[in-house]
Amino acid sequence: MMLSRCIKSENQKLRHSLIFPACIIIPVIPAVMGTFNYLQNTGILTHQWYSLWTQHTLFYASFFYAPLIALYCSYLWRLEHRNHNWNVFMTAPVSIPCLYFGKLAVIFRVTLMTQLWVGILYLFCGKVIVGLPDFCPANILFWLLRGTLAAAAIGAIQLLLSMVIRSFSVPIGIALIGSVLGMLLSNKGFGLFWPYSLMLMGMNSNKTEDALSGNVLSFLLSTLVFFLIFYWLAIHFLKTRDVHA
Amino acid sequence: MKSLFIRQLYAERQKGRKKHLSLLPLCFLLFQVLWALWQLTHAAPEELETGYLLLFHHLPLMNTILLPMLAAVIASRLCDMEIKGDTLKLLYTMQKPAQLFHCKFLMGLKYLFYFTMGQGLLILGAGKICRFTDPLKWTMLAEHMAVTFTVSAVLLAIQQTLSLLSASQLLPLAAGLVGCFLGLFSLFFPTPIARLFIWGYYAAFPAASTDWERDSKIVRYFEVPFPMTGFLLFLGTVFIIYLLCKTLTVRKEV
Repeated sequence: MMLSRCIKSENQKLRHSLIFPACIIIPVIPAVMGTFNYLQNTGILTHQWYSLWTQHTLFYASFFYAPLIALYCSYLWRLEHRNHNWNVFMTAPVSIPCLYFGKLAVIFRVTLMTQLWVGILYLFCGKVIVGLPDFCPANILFWLLRGTLAAAAIGAIQLLLSMVIRSFSVPIGIALIGSVLGMLLSNKGFGLFWPYSLMLMGMNSNKTEDALSGNVLSFLLSTLVFFLIFYWLAIHFLKTRDVHA
Repeated sequence: MKSLFIRQLYAERQKGRKKHLSLLPLCFLLFQVLWALWQLTHAAPEELETGYLLLFHHLPLMNTILLPMLAAVIASRLCDMEIKGDTLKLLYTMQKPAQLFHCKFLMGLKYLFYFTMGQGLLILGAGKICRFTDPLKWTMLAEHMAVTFTVSAVLLAIQQTLSLLSASQLLPLAAGLVGCFLGLFSLFFPTPIARLFIWGYYAAFPAASTDWERDSKIVRYFEVPFPMTGFLLFLGTVFIIYLLCKTLTVRKEV
């Protein structure tokens, strides 16, 4: 009950905010540019729906998915960092896990919307602009879902960073560096041990064959472990540290 | 007696105290050092023979991914204090809006200068540590640093304008993210289209290029002449963009 009220109040804070235009506009860029790149290189990119997927997710999942979630998280915490709202937040007659999970749920909802939009854009570009035959393979939709699940771990980390660092922009910079490092580590086979690699692994970015085949359980476990670690750290921080309003 | 502009600049410096802004270019640079070490330790011996050219070819790509965001973060940190504290109204009673814009820009430029110098040292250090056998051409290093600094400067001006104009920092940071996207994608586009995106200009004046043999998978790096005329034209465009940004900011009603 308390949790649903927390989620409702967090949703209210986002009303008329710029988060939703950002969530709509930013994924359009990789879709437009990825499709353009695909059309320019149809001689090399011969796997149709799979090739189009590589072009759509090449940079989105590797570099920009995490900073986008970081943007949402920074926006959500910015409201508390301003105008002594920390005092109001911490003195609310609600348990700290509920307060924090309210924010996390909203981040997850916005990320889910972003991913849905990415999927719609992919289908639209594939069917209408490129004119690919049939419907896209079901496993691509599964990859999209996996990428969404991985966002839970990143949401937990970024929410913690934006809570601790009282700057809007620094956590976004950290997310970008983390993502580039994530791509390098994933190429070396250490992706499951670095949270920022999980999204590009989950979304099977820039690959036509499933890089996680037979390894999905490890991926889910890694996502869960990172989520729990950073969720616990955030709750511990909120319970033990004094508020600087 | 200090001139008025120097005093305003000093005030900006005071505002940045304890904000640890120097950590920003340092973190981005540290990441590039790690990346360069990783790249060079995994390079084939024949690639190390042209190690400097390898770095001059790869660093612009890394800069395209990272530096638009660094410029966005620096500008946001410098301008957000005025937006959060709603201080512009007060400041403009004592200070000309254009002067504030110049001062903030120069403060941001300082951190970009640190980063550029650091990247120059990275190239020199990598050459010594990894024992590149090709000689370093100082003109190439200077050209690389000039391009990095100039492109970052124009992006800083754009980001600073967005940060000062918008009430929320969400818009400028989202614009920075979009810029990273556009810059990176533009590298894969035909040149006339790529030139439309200023975020991708880090790689528009390359000091080195590659020749890749598909069968043997051997990459050969070679020097390319620096397009000085193009760069001078770009400098002119940078100046115009800066003036445009300043005008937009000055006209803002506070």
